[in-house]
Amino acid sequence: MSWALFWLVSFAVAFLGFSAISLVIAVRGVAEIRELFSALEEERRRKASRED
Amino acid sequence: MSTPAIVSPFSLLDGAIAVLSLFATLWIGLRVKGYIGTIEDYLVANRGMGLYVGAASLLSTEVGIITYMYQAQFGFVAGFSAFVTGLITLGVCLLVGRTGFVITRLREMQILTVPEYFETRYGRSVRVLAGLLMAFGGSLNLGIFPIIEARFLAVVTGIPSQYLGWTMAGLLVVALAYTALGGMVSLIVTNYVQYIFLAAGTVIVTLTCLRHVGWSGMVGAVEGHMGGHGFNPIEDLGLGFILWQVLLWIALMTVWQSVAMRTFSTKDAAVGKRMFTLTGFLFLGRALIPMVWGISALAFFWGRAEPVTAPVAETKLAQMEQIDARLGETFRRDLDEGRLERALPQVDLLERLAREEKQRIVAAGAGDDDTAKRSAAAERFEDRAKDRRGEIGLLAMPWMLAAILPTGILGLVVAGMLAASISTYAGYFLGWSSIIAQDIVAPLAGRELSNRARLRLTRLTVLGLTVFIMIWSLVYDLPGPAYFYLQVTANLFMAPTLIAVVGGLYWRRASATGATLSFLLGAAASLTYLVPQLRLDVATAGNLSWALAVAGFVVGSVLVPPARPAAPRDAGGERQEVRS
Repeated sequence: MSWALFWLVSFAVAFLGFSAISLVIAVRGVAEIRELFSALEEERRRKASRED
Repeated sequence: MSTPAIVSPFSLLDGAIAVLSLFATLWIGLRVKGYIGTIEDYLVANRGMGLYVGAASLLSTEVGIITYMYQAQFGFVAGFSAFVTGLITLGVCLLVGRTGFVITRLREMQILTVPEYFETRYGRSVRVLAGLLMAFGGSLNLGIFPIIEARFLAVVTGIPSQYLGWTMAGLLVVALAYTALGGMVSLIVTNYVQYIFLAAGTVIVTLTCLRHVGWSGMVGAVEGHMGGHGFNPIEDLGLGFILWQVLLWIALMTVWQSVAMRTFSTKDAAVGKRMFTLTGFLFLGRALIPMVWGISALAFFWGRAEPVTAPVAETKLAQMEQIDARLGETFRRDLDEGRLERALPQVDLLERLAREEKQRIVAAGAGDDDTAKRSAAAERFEDRAKDRRGEIGLLAMPWMLAAILPTGILGLVVAGMLAASISTYAGYFLGWSSIIAQDIVAPLAGRELSNRARLRLTRLTVLGLTVFIMIWSLVYDLPGPAYFYLQVTANLFMAPTLIAVVGGLYWRRASATGATLSFLLGAAASLTYLVPQLRLDVATAGNLSWALAVAGFVVGSVLVPPARPAAPRDAGGERQEVRS
């Protein structure tokens, strides 16, 4: 395999990988952020009840 | 030869899109302030970060306008050979993700910063020393971001230079506001939104480059301009550079504070490992995609250039003097007006003549004083041509974008770039301020700081850091390509940090003396690149830093071993309370 072909394949993997993973992040990220806020909210409630 | 200046088509619509995206980020970032109760919420989001949001946060932090600019510059000057650094990053991410090398142990210890581990293992003085070097190197690293990014924005948006300082100050204040108030929770949420903008902008620019220049156009430009060097990284960059990159990326992925904070923020060590595997491919894109933009810019401007012939003169030296004088008159203006097709062939010619002259002198063998003077002059002209090529390389990509992106799309791309930049500022503000507050000020305070005091201290440090980088970016003159400066300032502490962490985790006889020597020697070697009088080339300075850091660590640990060799669990198997 020549260097030129090797770099073409590398770039194709990089660009397609970046686009595909970005799409997955965009779709699945919302649920994770909701989960993070629920956890923080729960932690805050737990601390508040402990202080009471 | 008179070529028209490039005028950016950035319009009111583009400006509105960019400003709206900024306000949206600020609004989201400020809304989460109420969730911050403790320093753990502030620095590591109560360790609740999931895989996909973690990947978005990690990449947003490590990609800013400056990343796109230095990677494009690297592609412009080194061609496809530059791609090797992207492949190294992918390999390192996959290795760390598959094995959990270092990150799993650090995550299980539930620490907030990397130097915190050093106090557990080596004592407080090593923690403070590591903190000082990290704060110093990290701040220097961050310090050139605004000035380079301002140049990008000036070209792409056409903002007059007198407003640039204010524009950059505005961006920093946006990042400062939500980072100082919302900490890591703000970062995770804003990073997610910013990632969407950033990814969209990246895809748009790449597709535009491919449509305008095409892959074959890029290959042709690299072939015509650099020959085999543009494709073969071993021939072009050398094995020493490649070895240094491997070591540096292992350190960056494991102990670089802004990256390590993402590891510390994950739900557990398993999520941390998966995050690295996933981001490996994003990091590959982070390198190769902007490098392709740089190569496209080379093809774009080379395609517009008219051939330049060497001026008539008796000697090659006289020819070089004439070209250099002409460049002295026109180069800066050409750069400022986007007439790179006029500057590039002249720089090319100067470099070719200098190289030919050097080869001729070498072939003729040892000579008299006159030969030595001619050789030194040729060397000087070659260096000047290389510096100018680097300057063209830094601005070629933004000038190309200003020339080929239409109104509307330009606004979307600028919104993506601003998102990338602000997320980087925010991530680095939090990373370096956490080191200053947690590992320098708090341990030296001599008394236990309350949770509230730590939060206040970290927020104040974020503010101080913002002021510092505004000043530094105005006074510092960059020595050579931005890519090298950024990596050397990182290398100031990366080699000893990784060695002291790995040695501490896996070698029971590692001692505080060894760690201290490692930090001092590793940092001193890196400084040789930054101090003009001592300046070594970048790969030599980088590898020397690693070699001296290892030597100092081993020699120091052997000569002054720890009073009691660490038990395996003390080497990092469990969490230990070390906050001062």
